[in-house]
Amino acid sequence: MQHDPAIIAGVTLALETAINETISLSLGTREALAQKCGACIAIYCSSPEVSVYFFVNDSGTVSLQNYSEAEITVSLSGSWRDFQTVAAANDAAGALVNSNISVTGDTAALIEIQQIVSDMDIDWEAPLVASLGHVAGHQLANALRGFWRWRTDSHRRISRQVSEFIIEEGRLSPSKHEIDAFLSDVDDIVLKVDRLESRIKRLQRQLKPASEPS
Amino acid sequence: MHETSTDDTTDFGYERVRKEEKAGRVREVFDSVASRYDLMNDLMSGGMHRLWKRFTIELSGVRPGQTVLDIAGGTGDLAAKFSQRVGPDGHVILADINAAMLSVGRDRLIDKGALNNISVSQADAQFLPYADNSIDCITIAFGLRNVTDKALALRSMYRILKPGGRLLVLEFSKPTSPLLSQAYDAYSFSALPFMGKLITNDADSYRYLAESIRKHPDQETLLEMVEDAGFVDCRYHNMTGGIVAIHRGVKG
Repeated sequence: MQHDPAIIAGVTLALETAINETISLSLGTREALAQKCGACIAIYCSSPEVSVYFFVNDSGTVSLQNYSEAEITVSLSGSWRDFQTVAAANDAAGALVNSNISVTGDTAALIEIQQIVSDMDIDWEAPLVASLGHVAGHQLANALRGFWRWRTDSHRRISRQVSEFIIEEGRLSPSKHEIDAFLSDVDDIVLKVDRLESRIKRLQRQLKPASEPS
Repeated sequence: MHETSTDDTTDFGYERVRKEEKAGRVREVFDSVASRYDLMNDLMSGGMHRLWKRFTIELSGVRPGQTVLDIAGGTGDLAAKFSQRVGPDGHVILADINAAMLSVGRDRLIDKGALNNISVSQADAQFLPYADNSIDCITIAFGLRNVTDKALALRSMYRILKPGGRLLVLEFSKPTSPLLSQAYDAYSFSALPFMGKLITNDADSYRYLAESIRKHPDQETLLEMVEDAGFVDCRYHNMTGGIVAIHRGVKG
């Protein structure tokens, strides 16, 4: 289905504005992105059928387009669900490797940009101070920072405790170490089976001339 | 139906006027609305004209160092964007037949500090005063319907484009859904003149706008006209349900 270009242009404009506003709050990110000036990441979504091109500008900002004829550095193709899964994953790089998304082009550039984005250190205090003043802005920023730290710590703690309960106390799932050992054993068996198969084939070849003289 | 030259009259909205009169009548309209043109565009389209122009720029595929001609460029919003795209080695020509619109456009561009690679030129789209094969990309946004002889203007654009250069015509067109068409008609013939009266104290100019849109060729007819002018690889994209369409042609 062909989407209305004006609607897509509206979405990309809103997204571009939000991304650039966020980048402007992280000076380091802007400088790092400027080093990647000229890079173009194309995202081809098959369902719904939408193409979005991310261009990195020399000022460290990003431009989004839904049509481009420029040279593409790296392209990612997949369905909306695939992209959503990768975006929501804790380990985006690992999720990308194991997903149905196909990556074409210079993957090193993609990894570098992904690293820049994950290293983003946003100074949320600046816009709060600008709109609320120094005292109220600083206090609100401190409160938000405290809440964010509590949320991150709680999330990490709960995840660890749930994981410990499932693996150690409930024995509901094997530990990572046990899975690794099991997979290693499976690999050994696969190798041994391969070797056995080739030995059988060799023996069959050796026996053939004796039983079937030509 | 194509616009033909069998008689010496042409459309001015729903009126028939002599061909030599149309440019003067159109000039009066734009003289009247020039100072509030952008504000009216935002109000009338609910800001959509920015998205239509954004897609036009994307479709242009303009690269640094190229030469772009923005015909009927009026207040210079497309020219300012192209100026960033072509960079210091490129060149953008903002052209319009109307001096009042050009004056507003030039002032805007000066305010934006965007005149270093832009030149401003008063020119008639039918007789473009530029060398053959000299322009990489031509855009005409919401201007073709005001041109007296559209076929002549398209041939003039073809002449000055470099081989491989592209033409982009952004213009009001025919809504694809009958329901949208009815709502659009109601809006154009009642709300537009009212807004025009309120903002620019000129309801007639905005009545002309609505009428001229109805008299403008629909998507398929304009596509044929672009092909007849000699362009190849011609296609169009409907936007906002066909209220606006962008036609693209390449000089072979």
